Amino acid sequence: MRRLILAPLLALLAACGASDDRTELVVQRFFGSCQADYGAVNDPTKADGECGIMTALINRFEADNPDIRVVENVVFWPGYDQLTAQLAANGPPDLVTMHSSAISDYEARDLLEPLNPVLAQAGVSPESFTPAARAGVMVGDQVMGLPIDVWAPLWHINMNLFRKAGLVRDGRPILPSSPEEFDAHARQFHERTGKPYLVQVTDKDFAGPMRIFYMYVMQQGGAPFRDARHSNFNSPEGQRALGFMRDLYQQGHSVRNQDYAGAVSTFLKGEGGVLIDGTWMVGQFTAASQREDSALADGYAVRPFPAIFKERNVSLVDGHNWVMPRDERRTQAQREAAARFLRFFADNNFQWARTGHFPAYTSIIESAAWRALPHRSDIAVLTQIGEPLPRFVRRQSPIEFIVGEEASAAFTGQKSVDRALQDMQRRADEILQSF
Amino acid sequence: MAMGDATLRSRLSQSAPWRRWSGLLFVAPYLLLFAAMLILPLIIGLRLSTTRSDLFGVKAEVGLENYARLFSDPVFLKAVGNTFYFVALTVPALTIIGLALALVLNNASRWSAVLRAVFFASTVLSVTVVTLIWRLVLIPDGGLAAVIARLFGQAPIAFLSDPVLAMPAIALTTIWWGIGLPMVLFLAALQQVPRDLYEAAALDNASRPRILFSITLPAIRRTIALVVIIEIILQFQLFGQAQLMTGGGPNNSTRPVVLFIYEAGWKQWQLGYAAAAAQVLFAMIAIAAMAQYYVSSRKEPA
Repeated sequence: MRRLILAPLLALLAACGASDDRTELVVQRFFGSCQADYGAVNDPTKADGECGIMTALINRFEADNPDIRVVENVVFWPGYDQLTAQLAANGPPDLVTMHSSAISDYEARDLLEPLNPVLAQAGVSPESFTPAARAGVMVGDQVMGLPIDVWAPLWHINMNLFRKAGLVRDGRPILPSSPEEFDAHARQFHERTGKPYLVQVTDKDFAGPMRIFYMYVMQQGGAPFRDARHSNFNSPEGQRALGFMRDLYQQGHSVRNQDYAGAVSTFLKGEGGVLIDGTWMVGQFTAASQREDSALADGYAVRPFPAIFKERNVSLVDGHNWVMPRDERRTQAQREAAARFLRFFADNNFQWARTGHFPAYTSIIESAAWRALPHRSDIAVLTQIGEPLPRFVRRQSPIEFIVGEEASAAFTGQKSVDRALQDMQRRADEILQSF
Repeated sequence: MAMGDATLRSRLSQSAPWRRWSGLLFVAPYLLLFAAMLILPLIIGLRLSTTRSDLFGVKAEVGLENYARLFSDPVFLKAVGNTFYFVALTVPALTIIGLALALVLNNASRWSAVLRAVFFASTVLSVTVVTLIWRLVLIPDGGLAAVIARLFGQAPIAFLSDPVLAMPAIALTTIWWGIGLPMVLFLAALQQVPRDLYEAAALDNASRPRILFSITLPAIRRTIALVVIIEIILQFQLFGQAQLMTGGGPNNSTRPVVLFIYEAGWKQWQLGYAAAAAQVLFAMIAIAAMAQYYVSSRKEPA
């Protein structure tokens, strides 16, 4: 009897002790967790959305590389607190997703490993990256990351409401090209649909207001930053940009009291005409437009941010990348595994581009297959007009939060435009001068 | 043998040096832990607060510059004001409501047991769940509060978007979340009050308010002081609710000191500045708790 009990216990113990001699590759990423829907999917063509496609890609890599055990850490967006803590504790993952705008902070503290040798081993040439993707990862001659995509804020349009508002010509949305036209369109939209023209984030999640403010400043030919230590928000361009955002809000052209999730939900319910959001929503809204019960049924279009201020036709862009934090304990086998992982992602960049993000490789962006994806020809111009913030601007992430917070306080009427711009500039400069 | 042990124990207990050190030996494990986990970090924090540093090292010694910056930083000063406001909203409410619930539920009926469990249940939830529940209650688009407002023909109120209402909304969430602890502490204290005092009061035909103010409250005064001190310390450390419900907004109206510290240290990589703010928070909590202790112990009868 005792043997009967002991035998399975010993077997269990032996199983626990069995060594896994596969090379362990720890990858840390945002884009969410969706194991319930995509945990068993390893065909990326059968997945949708950022989370689904990323999960399926990693599953596929594991299936194709049985000698590598991928440990996947999914972090709450954007995950930099966790990464910083891991770096401080000398326990970083092997590969991490990182925005192009965040690379300069980590690179300046020598926390990232240049990927030149790893990419050479993987057979991926930086020359194959699009200019915007390359600009996001290059520091001098060093390649600090493998670009996953380039993204930009876009105008997602409810064409059903635009038709009702008389803002469609030849099947294409009529978009404003000046502040006055914006006001006229928004009034016409509200009169004919009873709904606000603009769906935007006003509360809590400040990335949205920040991007709109930066865009309006850049469209006027202004530069949000003077140099590495000084911002330039309290400028005539900043005044005009924030004043315009406040006027739109005060005149009732925008939804109110919306955080990010609320704004997306409001747009999906058909409660507004234009949602200002990123490329990552193109796939999801396209899918919604193919459902009969959706407010976007057969009625979704997407366009680059229109040039309201005509001095420059420019769009703010950023990008997602895989970077390799420095870790002296990383073995050669892990480096090789990382090289294969990066090669796999470079080879499958088209699948990732189905999310709505711009591909990071010229060959894909010029391919007929990418152009044939829904709406891509409407936004392809962004590859020419897209412009990131200058590389010298560090601490972009916390500064973006401050800019969004102050802009939001100003356009919702809680603070004057002058005061918000002064506070925005003072707070940003304090950060820029703190290192 | 037993006699020998007893003699040895007796000798040891009479030896003066042994008597002096034996007590210390008993508390040594805790003292070591206390020094390693609290005193040492406090000293390191003080040291960091005089530097310009990030998580990867010290860049420069700046003396008291971080403190000077803090006291001229409007965002920090507003965060201090917000924190005091939040403490003022929550600590009296948690104490009074906790006491009231304990008084009502301090009996042996089955319903009291059920209600005690119900009121304590929210305490076991994580801050993420609590804030998610309350956001669903408070959001103006389809939230419970909005549905109720519409039932009465009123426009929904955007609690979390209004600089005046956002902090009371966070306070309400916190009171709902944290009411279990003071209630349980008061219940434990109430069960220690000698029954004969109540019997004597009943014989004297004392009124219920008289019993409350002359017997119950004086008997549990130490627990009241304990609850107030614990709650002051807890509520000064407001973080998760503000971060998850409002992110410190709108217009900096709900940013508490701990969120300021987190943003400065982790988001902005200004660890020295964050450490200075942490020292200020430590001083605030220590002064408030000591003031409360002083006031409550002064009232004790000689």
